[in-house]
Amino acid sequence: MRKQTSPRRTLRLVALAAGAALALTGCSAGSLGSSGGGDGVSLTFLVGSNQSTVAAAESVAEAFMAQNPDITVNVETRPSGSEGDNIVKTRLATGDMADVFVYNSGSLFQAIGPEQNLTPLTDQPWVGSLEENFTRVVSVGDQLYGAPFGPQLTGAILYNKKIYADLGLEIPRTWDAFMANNAAIEAAGTVPVIQTYGDTYTSQLFVLGDFHNVAAAEPDFAERYTAGQAKFATSPAALKGWEHLQQLHDLGYYNEDFPTAKMEEGMRKLGEGEGAHYPMLTNGIPTLTQASPDGAKDIGIFPIPGDDPAKNGLTVWSPNGVYIPKTTEGEELEAAKKFEAFIASPAGCDAQSAGATPTGPYAVDGCTLPADVLPATTDFQSYIDAGTYSPALEFLSPIKGPALEQITVEVGSGIRPAADGAALYDEDVRKQALQLGLDGWQ
Amino acid sequence: MKPASRTATRYWLGGAAIVAFAVVFLVPFAFVLVTAMKSQREAGLLEFSWPTEFAFLENLREALEARDYILIIAFINSTILTVSSVAIMVILAAMVGFVLQRRPSRWTGFINFLVLSGLIIPPAVVPTIWVLQGLGLFRTMPGLILVEVAYGLSFSILLFRAFIATVPRELDEAAIIDGAGPVRLFFRVVFPLLRPVAVTVIVVQSVVVFNDFTHPLYFLPGEQNATVQLTLYNFQSQYETQYNLLFTNILLITIPPLVMYLFFNRQIVAGMTAGAIKG
Repeated sequence: MRKQTSPRRTLRLVALAAGAALALTGCSAGSLGSSGGGDGVSLTFLVGSNQSTVAAAESVAEAFMAQNPDITVNVETRPSGSEGDNIVKTRLATGDMADVFVYNSGSLFQAIGPEQNLTPLTDQPWVGSLEENFTRVVSVGDQLYGAPFGPQLTGAILYNKKIYADLGLEIPRTWDAFMANNAAIEAAGTVPVIQTYGDTYTSQLFVLGDFHNVAAAEPDFAERYTAGQAKFATSPAALKGWEHLQQLHDLGYYNEDFPTAKMEEGMRKLGEGEGAHYPMLTNGIPTLTQASPDGAKDIGIFPIPGDDPAKNGLTVWSPNGVYIPKTTEGEELEAAKKFEAFIASPAGCDAQSAGATPTGPYAVDGCTLPADVLPATTDFQSYIDAGTYSPALEFLSPIKGPALEQITVEVGSGIRPAADGAALYDEDVRKQALQLGLDGWQ
Repeated sequence: MKPASRTATRYWLGGAAIVAFAVVFLVPFAFVLVTAMKSQREAGLLEFSWPTEFAFLENLREALEARDYILIIAFINSTILTVSSVAIMVILAAMVGFVLQRRPSRWTGFINFLVLSGLIIPPAVVPTIWVLQGLGLFRTMPGLILVEVAYGLSFSILLFRAFIATVPRELDEAAIIDGAGPVRLFFRVVFPLLRPVAVTVIVVQSVVVFNDFTHPLYFLPGEQNATVQLTLYNFQSQYETQYNLLFTNILLITIPPLVMYLFFNRQIVAGMTAGAIKG
């Protein structure tokens, strides 16, 4: 009868395991770290999972809690990129958002339904101290919804100052001067321009970062673009960015592994002096300091050159905003507003700098950069101080076609001619505009 | 063809298959392993090379300590989630499969359609959350367990039903004649006989649930509720990725399914083929 007991024992084990598991689930999901609120108010603060963002957020939370002992701030992370967009939209739609959260400003901010979902902060005292462009990109109608989190960004050309010094080159103010530099750099046996299409978003810089030049040539481009009148393919100034991308590829100025290289690889090449120029956003600088800690000190930035040397300047991206969803109420709302005020103060900027070295100037009056920032950041600050910058197109217009990075990869890889790529992108923009229900596109 | 040459061909083919599997499975694993041992700077190069300096222990410590030991919390959460949802799935699917196979009625077709629609119809996130909120189960572990059970049940039922067709009906009848009631019949006679396919379901569904990323992300938000797959996002993001820690984390969370497979290897194959004989 041995045979009969064995299945029974198995069954008993299965039942036991199931029972134990069910009993275990009775207690709530894991609670090792003691996150209990104590006596005071407790806030959850949702941020994207970039290492430097999390470090800055935790540093801000700590500094804030030191000032307000009765408030606890717990930092929570979410994926960044499009998965993060879905998370934020889902949690807002289900009324389950964290008490305070960080999200993009500009066109992505418009897409989360600020009027239905967010608490307006227009009446807060700190609103007056914000940078002017920033106030525009976190507002809908006459209501403002967020304080800036993190430094401003710019899309520009990161360049190796050592190579420039060795070859006796000067910062180019026109595209022709830039091309002359590239020729000299190639003659010296170095890669002139680094491209990294393994991270597709990095391919957009020549188009998006060129917007200061577009705006200089056609001041009303953004308005007419939103209204469906100006197109990339038909506006000579806007087409330039696409042509540059193709021209550089046709001349063979890119690194050999550009179709598959990732951003880390591009930053390493730049820092080690294997390549001279890398068009990128300044939030790639933390990666630069990791990939090439010594080389990072030789890296500076200059704006993407255009036609007119007198009008050359940086295209600037506004920082993310910190928002309060409508689901935060009562004393949490009071605490959240206090927290916003702290973030939008010089003390808040300093706390962010203590967590992660900033890569650009803050968008709050009175905030200063610490002394240990990299030369690239100092370069960035000097253009802001001189006032030679303008906001990127995505902060002036709600439309940004989702396929831009794929199309710029095609153009930059020589698969599609520039004019063709621009026309294809115009079509992508049209679809996006129709989806947003804008006037003048039917 | 002569028998000798046929055997030679077979050996040759077998050898080629082993090499192919080694390339497909072992090379990526080796890549994970060497990258997990590198320093951050070297790992960023993403090269398949032996590390010049060993940083495995530091990586391990950093990966574990990241965000207040969240990986350990995540392992606890993932274990609870996997064990309970798979246990519920196995018992429920076996019961449903048994009834569907042994008692054909005019409802059978409709029920089969429902089971299949569980495989066909794509799930929607927001309505599911709405239902969970209505039941007070949103943001709770039991809620997520039910979601996982719902997603895995259809497939498990199909496996069980196919296998039960191979269990002789005479066994049931003998038990009934001996005076066994339906519950006793199922748990004492039928369920123990389903061991091979139960092992298959346990292994397959454990891997699915353990590796699940989207459902925990959407249905169980909150810092303390992370499961192991979500911890990957501690080290990876759009602008900065710490490849050494990312791969250490991957290594750590690959081990449980791997151990599972090593132990149950034979049963998995046996269960798969056993279920495949009769449709």
